[in-house]
Amino acid sequence: MDATGIPLNWFLILSACLFVIGLAGVLIKRNAIVVLMSIELMLNAANINLVAFSVYNNDPTGQVLALFSIGLAAAEVAIGLAILLNLNRLRDTVDLNDLTILRW
Amino acid sequence: MDYTGLFELAWIIPILPIISFLIVGFLGQKIKGRGGIIAVGLVAAAMVLSLTIAYAALTGGLPEQGYFEQSFNWVVLGSDFTIQMGIYIDAVTALMLIVVSFVATLVVIYSLGYMHDEGDRRRRYFTEISLFVGVMLGLVLANNFLELFIFWELVGLCSYLLIGFWFEKPSAASAAKKAFLVTRVGDVMFLIGLVIIFNLFHSTSYSTIFSPEEIAGVDQTWLMWGVFFMFGGAIGKSAQFPLHDWLPDAMEGPTTVSALIHAATMVKAGVYLVARMFPLLVHAENVMLLIAVIGGVTAFMAATMALNSPNIKRVLAYSTISQLGYMFLALGAGGYMFALGLEEGNEELMVAGSLGFAAGMFHLMNHAFFKALLFLSAGSVIHYVHTEEMAKMGGLRKHMKVTSLVMLIGSLSIAGIVPLSGFWSKDLILETVWEGRLDSIIFLGLYVLAVLTAFMTAFYMFRMWFLTFAGEEGEATKHAAAHHDEHHVDSHGSDEHDHKESHGHHEAPWVMLAPLIVLAILAIGSGFALFIGSGFTSVIYFEIPYTHDAGYWLEKFFWGESSFLTYISLAAAVLGIALAYFTFYKKRVDAPAIASKPAVKPLYNMLLKRYGFTKGYDYVGEKIVYGFSLALDWFDRKIIDGLVNGFSKLIQRSGAGLRRAQTGFVQTYAGVVAGGAVAMMLLLFFLLKLLGIEVHP
Repeated sequence: MDATGIPLNWFLILSACLFVIGLAGVLIKRNAIVVLMSIELMLNAANINLVAFSVYNNDPTGQVLALFSIGLAAAEVAIGLAILLNLNRLRDTVDLNDLTILRW
Repeated sequence: MDYTGLFELAWIIPILPIISFLIVGFLGQKIKGRGGIIAVGLVAAAMVLSLTIAYAALTGGLPEQGYFEQSFNWVVLGSDFTIQMGIYIDAVTALMLIVVSFVATLVVIYSLGYMHDEGDRRRRYFTEISLFVGVMLGLVLANNFLELFIFWELVGLCSYLLIGFWFEKPSAASAAKKAFLVTRVGDVMFLIGLVIIFNLFHSTSYSTIFSPEEIAGVDQTWLMWGVFFMFGGAIGKSAQFPLHDWLPDAMEGPTTVSALIHAATMVKAGVYLVARMFPLLVHAENVMLLIAVIGGVTAFMAATMALNSPNIKRVLAYSTISQLGYMFLALGAGGYMFALGLEEGNEELMVAGSLGFAAGMFHLMNHAFFKALLFLSAGSVIHYVHTEEMAKMGGLRKHMKVTSLVMLIGSLSIAGIVPLSGFWSKDLILETVWEGRLDSIIFLGLYVLAVLTAFMTAFYMFRMWFLTFAGEEGEATKHAAAHHDEHHVDSHGSDEHDHKESHGHHEAPWVMLAPLIVLAILAIGSGFALFIGSGFTSVIYFEIPYTHDAGYWLEKFFWGESSFLTYISLAAAVLGIALAYFTFYKKRVDAPAIASKPAVKPLYNMLLKRYGFTKGYDYVGEKIVYGFSLALDWFDRKIIDGLVNGFSKLIQRSGAGLRRAQTGFVQTYAGVVAGGAVAMMLLLFFLLKLLGIEVHP
């Protein structure tokens, strides 16, 4: 058991729910910005897992890795948004279904 | 004396005419006379070398083993199969070298006069004929069957080119095609036989194939089929039944070509092949019997067709086929006896058999000389009257004294009048066939056919001679005489010459007459080669001792116990000549009346139609081969192409279908990845459950 008194499974269930919601968003949504947001959800689900295991195992490495992951996510969003901004400027859309220029 | 150094030069023989081929072919247009002199010079040089080597070979200069061989490996397939290139000289080669080089030289010299009016085309003529002489000499000198086959095909090509020399004439063009295609049937059989032989012996070299140990070590049934198919090649090349019909058509070429290629040399290649294969053939007596039967039937059939042919060259063509049949008959009969003797260990029979071989080769040589003589004389006649129809000639004796005389000599020789060359060899053939009756009753029938052929030969040759040179002057004769007189007067610018003197100018120029005279001397004298050394039996090399020399054979056959056969063959010849004399000279027998009788008319027409073989070939070509080709075409287009096209269509269609799977949307791919990950996780989970493995954190 751990300091909070909340069992580990609950964290895992929460993170799984978040991950699946994020995955669904990535797979289903047409708007590229929403897809980026969904990716953030998936990353955060992973972060919750990392922190939960870290506390559970009494090992700070997981929390450090979570911090890295947040940094990485920030960078990824920055690049992703930049691409989308340019895309919007060039093609006047961020709808993924319209971006078919390289398709057969 | 050691002649090895001399024999090592033999490779130069075929090279010399081929050099002439290259020089005349590329530079002929710049040379005066369009290269004729160059061709004569180099062919004559080849002849000098050939005769020297042949003389050395025939006078005991050959090494102990009976042949001289020089070769290099050409194709080496693995450790086992080797194909060589090289030269092989034995007595048969020497004989062929003499015949080919000598006749070729005379014909090329004669061509200088005969082709004189052809202008720039002489370059093509001399190019092609030089190539022919070169490859024919190569054929004779080859040391293995594959090399022989290569040259065999090349002489076929030269034959095609020269038959079609006047290709603007549709008849010449189609005759060339016919000759090429019909001999091709034989050549394909030759190739099949060659493959069988190569498979059996793993070599094509004569020296390997002919060694008795090698022959004993192979499957005898396959050996029989191998030699059978190779004999098929000989049938095509030597115009034997049933592939004989191309030779009469081949007369569309210049007469010199007919003399050299279609009488004296190339058509002998088939006989030479059979003679060459003799060590193999004596292990297949069935094939030997077949050779004898085909030879006998061809000799008879071709002679009948010559009986009423209106064309002077055609008569000679049929006669060539007929005489080639004699050669095959002799080789087959001799070989059959030899094969039986070999089986039974009967040496007497083997010696009799080798005599048949000698007779065949002897006739080959004599025939080359007298038939070349006859053709060249006919060429001289055609050169003068500008027609080949004998009905339009007649009475030429007065205008062409020398030609009529040499042609008479040739006719007497081919008819078999003693002591001209044809007599000796033809009689030897008949004796051999008669000898064969003791071993197979078939030879009795063949003997009767051969004697009838001898009778017909004498008849049709003298029919030709009387129609051409004797009797009243035909329209072509008159026209030619008038034309030549006029020309003569013009060229001298005066008409002081009286008519008698101008006759000399009707005769062909000396460049044409000289070869005729040389050949006439040979047509008289070449039969006496029988008296040299051990008779003509020395042309063969087999591992049997020759205890008998020429005297023995002469004693046995010409004036010994079976001398009555000699009288029969002489009687047949004399009867034939007499019949021709009374029919076409004295006109005691009314030939047209007999020919138009209802009983004879169909036969007469059948002979003119060559027993329907011409139609038969056309039928085979147009209906059977073309129909088969159509079927193959259908199969190719529908089945083969259909299969290939169908396969590519299948790939295209399925590709087009599968393309849908690749949507190009990242989300689809991500979905698949996610689904795949989930599926793998589930699989792993259930697998572990199934195997009962517990995983503890």
